[in-house]
Amino acid sequence: MIDELEIRDLEVSIGQKKILKGLSLTVRVGEVHALMGPNGSGKTSLAYTLMGHPDYHVDAGSVTWRGEDLLSKKMTPDKRAQAGIFLAFQYPSAIPGVTVASFLRNIYNAVHHPKQPAADESDGAMPKYTGIPLAKFRKLMEEKMALLHMDPAVAARYVNEGFSGGEKKRLEMLQMAIINPTIAILDETDSGLDIDALRTVAEGINATLSPEMGVLMITHYQRMLNYVKPQFVHVLLDGRVVMSGGEELSHKLEANGYDWVREQVGLPSGVGDEVAEPVAEHV
Amino acid sequence: MAPLALMQPLDSNAVEGVSRDEPAWLAELRTEWWSRVEADPWPTGAEEEWRRTSLDNLPRDGGLLLDAPVATYELDPRLAERGVIFSDLASAIWEHGDLVRAHLGRHETLSAQMPFWARSLAAWTGGTFLYVPKGVTMDVPLTARTTLPSGAYTYLPHTLVVVEEGASATLLEEVSSPDGQPVWFGGTADVRAGYGARLRYANLQRLGDEVWRIGAQRVEVGQDANVTTLNAEIGSAISKVGMDVRMTGKGGSSRLLGLLAAGDAQSIDFNSVQDLIGSHTTSDLLYLSALYGASHASFYGVTRVRPEAKQTSSYQECRNLLLSPNAGAEPIPVLEIETNDILRCGHGATAGAIDPVQRFYAQSRGMSAESAERMIVRGFFERVVAQIDSEPIKARVLDALAARIGSADEAAA
Ligand SMILES: Nc1ncnc2c1ncn2[C@@H]1O[C@H](COP(=O)(O)OP(=O)(O)OP(=O)(O)O)[C@@H](O)[C@H]1O
Ligand SMILES: [Mg+2]
Repeated sequence: MIDELEIRDLEVSIGQKKILKGLSLTVRVGEVHALMGPNGSGKTSLAYTLMGHPDYHVDAGSVTWRGEDLLSKKMTPDKRAQAGIFLAFQYPSAIPGVTVASFLRNIYNAVHHPKQPAADESDGAMPKYTGIPLAKFRKLMEEKMALLHMDPAVAARYVNEGFSGGEKKRLEMLQMAIINPTIAILDETDSGLDIDALRTVAEGINATLSPEMGVLMITHYQRMLNYVKPQFVHVLLDGRVVMSGGEELSHKLEANGYDWVREQVGLPSGVGDEVAEPVAEHV
Repeated sequence: MAPLALMQPLDSNAVEGVSRDEPAWLAELRTEWWSRVEADPWPTGAEEEWRRTSLDNLPRDGGLLLDAPVATYELDPRLAERGVIFSDLASAIWEHGDLVRAHLGRHETLSAQMPFWARSLAAWTGGTFLYVPKGVTMDVPLTARTTLPSGAYTYLPHTLVVVEEGASATLLEEVSSPDGQPVWFGGTADVRAGYGARLRYANLQRLGDEVWRIGAQRVEVGQDANVTTLNAEIGSAISKVGMDVRMTGKGGSSRLLGLLAAGDAQSIDFNSVQDLIGSHTTSDLLYLSALYGASHASFYGVTRVRPEAKQTSSYQECRNLLLSPNAGAEPIPVLEIETNDILRCGHGATAGAIDPVQRFYAQSRGMSAESAERMIVRGFFERVVAQIDSEPIKARVLDALAARIGSADEAAA
């Protein structure tokens, strides 16, 4: 078994629109990769495709995780999560009426105590609770919340309802810490965070990181990479990874934008770009 | 099992038969109500309230159930000493005749429900009586739980709740029955809260899958009184309930909560009138339904603000979650505002499927699609559940819902 997520020649479309046009990238456990690319270049589409979002259609290519086909029909999003893949959403969804504590316990149990379907449940009767004991879970949650400097009161709030952008990102990291995945895809986890929050969240990520975890960090900015150091930096343009390098590549991108990359790989200016320049962010 | 004692068919002889051994005043009262039965027309289906439920297949041939199931009525003896009465209505006739006589069958209800209200008042054989005298307050919720017998019959119990001035009470009525039994269940409730009284009244319906529940509730909210009602509808084939909420006293307030969970070919149809009669009254309605299979929910809700009702505040909200492409909902809010002097009057009605973004989010965290869906539905119901302030009632309602929407303690699937 090879501990790697291998994406080969991946082509993805949504509706009639082709978004990924032969993307290849390999993330091994223990490695930190950064994926950069202009707005609309398909970073989130890649993340969603890896997680099994039903709207993203894989036209060609393959994704294997530890040698197994991640794109097979039976690998529904929940199965992928149970196999160790985690996606921190760029825009996390609210779940009205479901408290953070209850949600976290549900997802903890889903990943760590997946239920074996019993024969006698066909009548709709609820199976006995077989998850983590409540007290033990509380302790785990409080410990991870402290790690991310989160207000314990958040546990009683409804998932992402009325959360600020930064609070949502923190909750994504809390979920990651609770699940403790093997491959973490972080889609612009640094966006929307103020300077102090960025440091806290980055520290949280670093504390969660281990040699048993691989990371694919999608970002527009160097600042996150100052805390969570990538060994590899990739540029996504025109639906492909057109350039890969070490950490220095991210500095170069931050200083010079993407035009020089386009030039170097022979793409016309503006290609793979919805908006000509990355939108400045309000933090 | 002993055969059921039934009186058939349901006619004036049956009413006479039921009242044979009862006090004369009650026999007279029943006869009076039976004359209303004969005077009031059966719904034609053209009435706005009856357009979405046809009574064509109502099981009417079963005969009237005589040996009504009696709940276990538990009441703290100290409260009994202070005059609280909590018993079945039939016993109360003998033990507290004057009191029952003063309150039973005194009012009409919505014209749409009158045929059923009148039948129940003429031919009730079971039901609950709760009386809380002036100034007596209770913290512990009272429970009246009945399980109906197997068989094909008509059962029209009547519940009478009177909470006097400054008193407070919480009552849960729960009714269940076995599947596969074609029963006409015509339970009605007459609920009154006096000056400054506080009442929580919950009704948990877990009837069998062939039961027709044709109900009526009349709720009268006195001056500065505060009433919350909850209808949790889980069972039955057809459920048609008329809610007549009369905000008669100045400054009274009501919260009308509903949790409807239906599947298969179940149909739930409510019509309500929030009648703002007194000034400075408040009435907020929130009905949530989760509809599976080919089930259907209708809600025809009228908010009426009378000309003399100044400075009232009211809201009507009906949200339907459609969990199958074959499920349907029809929320119809109607506002009849006869004064300009209102503080607030509004409505909100929706019917739609689960947000796929929410489902994907939960699924991407390892929860199966089904488990994610159940969690989202529980969250959807939370707006009402959070307002059930009695913990035992909340637990009971959640337990009844668990077969459809799981429980917070379910291990991940
Ligand atoms: N559901 C959808 N329907 C139609 N087009 C879509 C949909 N989702 C994504 N797209 C399009 O696919 C392209 C890639 O979008 P994606 O969100 O993957 O970009 P991104 O690289 O993550 O951008 P950003 O940096 O702004 O987050 C865009 O042109 C976008 O408009
Ligand atoms: Mg994106």
